[in-house]
Amino acid sequence: MDRIALTRRSLGGLGLGGAVAVAGTPSQAQPSGAAPASGTQPGPLAAAPTSQAGLGPRLTLHAIDNAHGTPGAGLVCDLSIREGELYRPIKTVTTTANGRPAEPLLVDDALKPGRYEVLLHVGAYFAALGVALPSPNFLDRVPIRFQIRDPRQRYHLPVLFTPWGYSYYRGS
Amino acid sequence: MAGISTHVLDTDRGRPAAGVRIELSVLDGERWRLVRSAVTNADGRTDAPILPADEARTGQYELVFHVGDYFRQRPGTAEADIFIDDPVVRFAIFDARQHYHVPMLCAPASFTTYRGS
Repeated sequence: MDRIALTRRSLGGLGLGGAVAVAGTPSQAQPSGAAPASGTQPGPLAAAPTSQAGLGPRLTLHAIDNAHGTPGAGLVCDLSIREGELYRPIKTVTTTANGRPAEPLLVDDALKPGRYEVLLHVGAYFAALGVALPSPNFLDRVPIRFQIRDPRQRYHLPVLFTPWGYSYYRGS
Repeated sequence: MAGISTHVLDTDRGRPAAGVRIELSVLDGERWRLVRSAVTNADGRTDAPILPADEARTGQYELVFHVGDYFRQRPGTAEADIFIDDPVVRFAIFDARQHYHVPMLCAPASFTTYRGS
């Protein structure tokens, strides 16, 4: 019973909702009371999904705010690579209005095999949107860890997040 | 009951992930200090709560799930397909009277966590 409940919640709250938002309706209306459209904050969804098929080696990221059903715009992301027991910072980027950084995180020769971490500033993101959060917030800076094994491939990293959970996977 | 518990599910196979090593650490100043290490049982849970109620304090916690070893031991998984092998969840106990169930749903290239119940 418990397992069924967990699975249903995960699908409804994170997996399927995100999948629909990523792949789905391009003219989805902005519900009232959701995040306001100003500055780097998420606005109405006007853009269709982007296909990266056929592009060269790169690491790209797409952040989806599953609490508001919008792209995760203005999310600060720290990229680092593991060296020994530590993660060495490479760069910090902020997602644009479509939930993606303006440039790939890594492209061509910069894409090297290794263990990587993207630290997502989820607490600051929701605080900036005025979302009521506990103190300290349940999720603040979320580490996303993964491996790049073959630098000839393209790696897409979608991240679906709320103040209470997140999901990430190797996308396409 | 307060404290922290977890549950590891293999969503690739639709069953509990047994034998996954988990480490719980707490942020102590600038350093993560290991609190407890446990291995999931046949139901994908730890036999005892990873943090019992009487040890629960407000603070920042970290769970590391060594799912890479689990996937390598599982039949039929190619090493090259393991994209996520040691995922980490960092979260806060903001009210030590509450219970924090932090499940993780994993596959070789996918990871999900959330505050469960």
